[in-house]
Amino acid sequence: MALQKYWVLLKLSWQNGFVYRTNVILWRFRQFLSTLMALTVWQVIFSQQGSAFNYSGAEMTTYIFLAAFLQSFILATALNGLANRIYSGQFSFDLLKPINLYAYLGTEDLADKLKNVGFLVVETIILWFIFRPELSVPGWEIGALFAFWLAGGILLNFLVTLLFGAMGFWSPDVWGPRFLFFIFVEFTAGKLFPLDILPELIQRIILWTPFPFFAFLQSQLFLEKLSSAEVWQYSGMLIFWIVLFALVVSAVWKRGIRNYDAAGQ
Amino acid sequence: MLRRLTTYYAVWYLTAANALQETFVNRWTNLLFMSGKIIRLGMTLLVFFLIKENISSFAGYTPDQMIMFFLTYQFIDTITQVFYRGVYIFSQKIRSGEFDFMLTKPISTLFQALTGRPDFNDALFIIPTTALSIWIALQLDVVMTTSSALWYGALLLNAFLIATALHILIMAVGVITTEIDGAVWIYRDLMQMGRFPVSIYLAPVRWALFFIVPVGMMITIPTEVLVQAPPTYSMALAVLFGISFFLASLRIWNWSLKQYSSASS
Repeated sequence: MALQKYWVLLKLSWQNGFVYRTNVILWRFRQFLSTLMALTVWQVIFSQQGSAFNYSGAEMTTYIFLAAFLQSFILATALNGLANRIYSGQFSFDLLKPINLYAYLGTEDLADKLKNVGFLVVETIILWFIFRPELSVPGWEIGALFAFWLAGGILLNFLVTLLFGAMGFWSPDVWGPRFLFFIFVEFTAGKLFPLDILPELIQRIILWTPFPFFAFLQSQLFLEKLSSAEVWQYSGMLIFWIVLFALVVSAVWKRGIRNYDAAGQ
Repeated sequence: MLRRLTTYYAVWYLTAANALQETFVNRWTNLLFMSGKIIRLGMTLLVFFLIKENISSFAGYTPDQMIMFFLTYQFIDTITQVFYRGVYIFSQKIRSGEFDFMLTKPISTLFQALTGRPDFNDALFIIPTTALSIWIALQLDVVMTTSSALWYGALLLNAFLIATALHILIMAVGVITTEIDGAVWIYRDLMQMGRFPVSIYLAPVRWALFFIVPVGMMITIPTEVLVQAPPTYSMALAVLFGISFFLASLRIWNWSLKQYSSASS
């Protein structure tokens, strides 16, 4: 019975996601363009020389291909407008529903990811035929860990999105911090270039932040570019970031809901 | 004629003064936006210079010439946002019915819609970034002459004309469909593809970037002329295309106004 409730919610959120179909298609087209640009640029670079930045042309194409796929999947969210929903008071309807709030928002987010996956598969097939990346499937141990890191990345992004959403309890101006977050993600999640081409110091700083878990580290794991010590270290860090963000989100949302005055309702 | 121009300047001045006050009201948000832009520019330049250090040529251009394409993109993209940021909120004016009031005013509706909200964030940003771009350009190993610089200036004006035309077309889409966010962001993404010479892309994409959304005419050709690389298309074609594109956009705008049915008021 409890599961059926979420299943219905998932179906409703899926349908809601397709109300503005043109927007969805244009959004996917934008993602496609940025991946096309990154793949083209690196292909041009490697057409002139066999290797650069310790990558061969084939390795770089495969890396960008994989990172773009993972980033589209991990960062897809239906909750970008959550802060506005809260600040405008529309959130009151969500609070009144007899359903766990986090599960409710999580189901909305999941429906959005599933919607994006459909498009992502088509885009991936097109890009596959153009760029022909060389992908080899890793063994089951790496595969299982990859699934765990992927789920971890998704959960981390969900928590970060909730944190940004919570700003709506206090202020309507949330686009400044979000813009800054997107800029960091653009350069540190690893879709345009792998982080290991950056100077050592910058790499080290970025690897201590949660951003590489939005695609870079999962790609490196899939391509078996990490040592076992690094795998353990980053697994620990992923868990640490998830726990830390979960605690912060929980505390901030508790405070926020106490502060909530259901404006306009 | 002079009196008319004075009136338009007075209106623009008033609008700009209001936009400036608004910028100061949301100073923290604007500070975050500014920080994001600085980080993005810094990171992009870092990656470009890393690529430059690791390659000997880029699709027939020298690595230094490749950086010049980015610097041209940076200038054109920012200057258009300084003047035409109002386009980003145009659909909101259509949906709220505010556009009806713009139609009744004794001043060009197109002028009001296009220049309705100059972006002071970008106006502040463009001064140091242009100085930085000029300094970088002077350090690079590219051959520039007075004549190539003069032609470059003329082609930048042509680029601004094309950018104006593209913004007019986006607003025409807004008048017809009441929704332009997708079109605006697609335009921005296509502009981003101009950070590199457009000739690197697959033939259909390249063609579209020269003749449908003419990013190539705006960025690639002026840069090729400046660094004295053989231009992909002649300067005469670029200028002729710019003027025709602008005139066509005016006709489409006028046609779209005739279709306008007042969305909400």
